[in-house]
Amino acid sequence: MDTLLIAMFEILSFGAIVVLVVLGLGIIASMMGIFNFAQGEFVLLGAYVTYLVHSVGLPVPLGMLAAPVVVGALGFVLEKLVVRRFYAAPIVAMLGTYALGLIIREAVRGLTGGLYLSVPEPISGSITIGSLHFATWRGVIVIITLLVMAASHALLAYTSFGLRVRASLENPSLARASGISTGMIYSLTFAFGAALAGLAGALIVPVFSLFADLGIRFLIQGFVAVMVGGVGSFAGPVAGASVIGTFSAWLPWLMSPVIADVLVFVLAIIFIKFRPQGLVSGRGVNR
Amino acid sequence: MSSTGTGIQPPSRVIEAARSPVMASAFAGRTKVLPILELALLIAASIAPLLLRDYITVYATRVLILCLFALSFDLVWGYAGILSLGQSLFFGMAGYGVALLSRDFGVGSIFAVLPAGTLIGFVAALLLAGFLLLGRHPSSVVFVSLGTLTGAYAADRLARGSHYLGGQNGIPSIQPMTIGSHELSEGPGFYYLVLAILVLIYLLSRFLLRSQFGLALAGLRENEQRIAFFGYKVQHLKAIIFAISGAIAGTAGSLYAFHEGFVWTNMLGVVMSTQVVLYVLFGGSGTLIGAVIGTAIVEGLSFWLSDNYRDIWPIILGVLLLLVILFRPLGLISLVLGERERVGSFGPSLKEKRNAAP
Repeated sequence: MDTLLIAMFEILSFGAIVVLVVLGLGIIASMMGIFNFAQGEFVLLGAYVTYLVHSVGLPVPLGMLAAPVVVGALGFVLEKLVVRRFYAAPIVAMLGTYALGLIIREAVRGLTGGLYLSVPEPISGSITIGSLHFATWRGVIVIITLLVMAASHALLAYTSFGLRVRASLENPSLARASGISTGMIYSLTFAFGAALAGLAGALIVPVFSLFADLGIRFLIQGFVAVMVGGVGSFAGPVAGASVIGTFSAWLPWLMSPVIADVLVFVLAIIFIKFRPQGLVSGRGVNR
Repeated sequence: MSSTGTGIQPPSRVIEAARSPVMASAFAGRTKVLPILELALLIAASIAPLLLRDYITVYATRVLILCLFALSFDLVWGYAGILSLGQSLFFGMAGYGVALLSRDFGVGSIFAVLPAGTLIGFVAALLLAGFLLLGRHPSSVVFVSLGTLTGAYAADRLARGSHYLGGQNGIPSIQPMTIGSHELSEGPGFYYLVLAILVLIYLLSRFLLRSQFGLALAGLRENEQRIAFFGYKVQHLKAIIFAISGAIAGTAGSLYAFHEGFVWTNMLGVVMSTQVVLYVLFGGSGTLIGAVIGTAIVEGLSFWLSDNYRDIWPIILGVLLLLVILFRPLGLISLVLGERERVGSFGPSLKEKRNAAP
């Protein structure tokens, strides 16, 4: 019983991490139709910013606040300079963002010297309930993920900004005709997605430690999750991320981690093959 | 997914140009750059070992093998519009396959290992294509690229975790390849062997792409739906070219394994797949020679620069790639090669057609 509860907590906290990583990817893919191959590197960059703030002696939570701002700002600039040239051609966009990711990854690799760097947890220790111990920081990640998810959904579903984003998604030319600056909306949406990735990177760096290839794994995981969930809606990627996160955390309890890691992806690809529209088919944000 | 006006792929009017006699004959009068370029490169490659020092010849041999690998990616992406981000899967699987043949069975004869490597690549690609490309629903480009990427990642992970395959270290000290009783070691001999294989496969691919099959592929890349309406089985065409490219990648992989003398997990994984995408986009996808030139330039530059700028070289490479995608979507080859010539003409030559028409 105790092991079961601990396992459940592990699954929940890992699932939360995957949801956090996927949320930004899913928003960019669903709202803009761009599969951002640099998303994993945005996660990496968020982790690096946190490490940088920590290494100059400032408190870690400050770094975690700075990370989404820095990465979001970078996302905004990159969208203005590079990504907006690709909207007409989604496949070229994949290659272009792939190149962007390559640049970020190699830059971080150069800056970190290819080492594994660790950042301490801002809130360490564990919570004890009865005879069970839970790592506090993982609990914090779960809570923050829930808050971010709710806030993102509220932003897209209930604010006027969200309305504009959805309008630009549904019918860009009509949105422009109604006086919405779709260019600006796309920039902001991309920046928002990047900021979410930055936040994810900042929160997970104490758990995974910082290394240059941190992003690749999350990139594949994120894409698989978005496709499993279904592109086009808000709920799709979140559902996909929950499923992938649960399996990724659960299967290693049953078999060797290497096999489990691969099996999750293979199962997901098979699922997508036979249900290309994903778990949640449909477009837009449900209110 | 339709790719009209994507820039990185050739626009469809070129095919019409090949069909219309007026435009084609106007074009035929101009000097052709492509054969000159191909011949110049061939001559340069043939005399290179005479001029270069031995250790550079060894490096050049590796570059030629990578050219072969780049050709395989160019066939799927540049000609059929399949974005295979896991091309290294076939390269690496063939490499591991021949390494195992050599380690466990002592087989090193070129007449056994090259066909074996090619076959491994072909079968693996055919199986993957059967799963990813065939089926009731036509697969989206994103799905195929994700599927191939996942394949490469999974193979990398499994090889790393497998004791039989040597784990992180790979399989070291493979015996040299033999032709009869002659042992083939690094140097000019190996170089000319690889060059011969490269030229042979290049010519075969060129022939294939200029045939009716190539015409159907070009149409497929431009407008998949229209080709389907003409009665072509689009998914089958894609699967065939994917399997062929897998076979070529397999040949390259087995040559690479014997040339380097060892195989390791990077050959299978995302690192190698990224490399090959880089080569082809850099040189110019959709032309066979572009893939070769891209590989030669990227590898040449990295040989020259990585001594002095080891740390920032990968970053420079990324920036260059981004600039090429943004401003020269057809690759460096488009600096010298006109658009019409890049796609060329298909089927029987125009003269024969004109004689046959009336």
